[in-house]
Amino acid sequence: MFQANPLRLYLACIRNTLEAAMCLQNFPCQEVERHNKPEVELKTSPELLLNPVLICRNEAEKCLIETSINSLRISLKVKQADELENILTKKFLRFLSMRAEAFQVLRRKPVQDIEKEISELKISVNTRGRLVATEFLKQFM
Amino acid sequence: MAGAGGFVEADNAEAIIARIETKSSKIESLLKQYKPVEALKTALEGSPPKTLDERCKSANWIVVHRALMAIKDIEGMLNALDVEYYDILMKYLYRGLSTGDRPTCDQCLKIHEKLTDRAGLGCILRCLTDTINTV
Repeated sequence: MFQANPLRLYLACIRNTLEAAMCLQNFPCQEVERHNKPEVELKTSPELLLNPVLICRNEAEKCLIETSINSLRISLKVKQADELENILTKKFLRFLSMRAEAFQVLRRKPVQDIEKEISELKISVNTRGRLVATEFLKQFM
Repeated sequence: MAGAGGFVEADNAEAIIARIETKSSKIESLLKQYKPVEALKTALEGSPPKTLDERCKSANWIVVHRALMAIKDIEGMLNALDVEYYDILMKYLYRGLSTGDRPTCDQCLKIHEKLTDRAGLGCILRCLTDTINTV
């Protein structure tokens, strides 16, 4: 019970930040006609990118949120103290990846030091898509 | 033009660091008098806005961090702080959260929750979008 409190604060912080960051809109590529690219992946124009935010609970658990005008990337590093937690993490991740179609996940490979990555991209003007995504993530928080 | 700008930058950096040193000693004395709220206000006040110099930002961050860790009563602190400082405080909170140091993160998470309740999601969004005045 005492342990749960710092966890609750960490998750509340991530939830608030995500809610603010999920302010996305459809934004066709400025360079090439009729192309629609996820800016957070390609980083073509600096003015379309927002400050990335790293939320750490301690040295072993952190969450990196990178936003741009039309896409958002969340990278999670989860504490894995023993084999069992390792297995659970992998199962959790597989589950999220398989459900990814619900919110148009485009990239599922890890980024550098961040061990596991889930990319949520191009939740465009589809408000329903955004609501589904928020609700879905809330279940795990 | 760029050269002159660069020269002014360097000059300003030294001046800013000197100001931060004086601020730091003032904050130490305020903390000794058990006035952590005043200390935090002083720390947030002279935040160098458009400096690109990493040293100035780090120096100011150290000072703010010292004041932040000394705060025990978060509600009282937020009551006493003016609304215009909420955005700057939020930026420093995110900087604190990125350090990964356990006590810092614990403190920052506590303050973050309360500050979001008061200032709303707009405050967070302003931190994300402001790429010019970073801390």
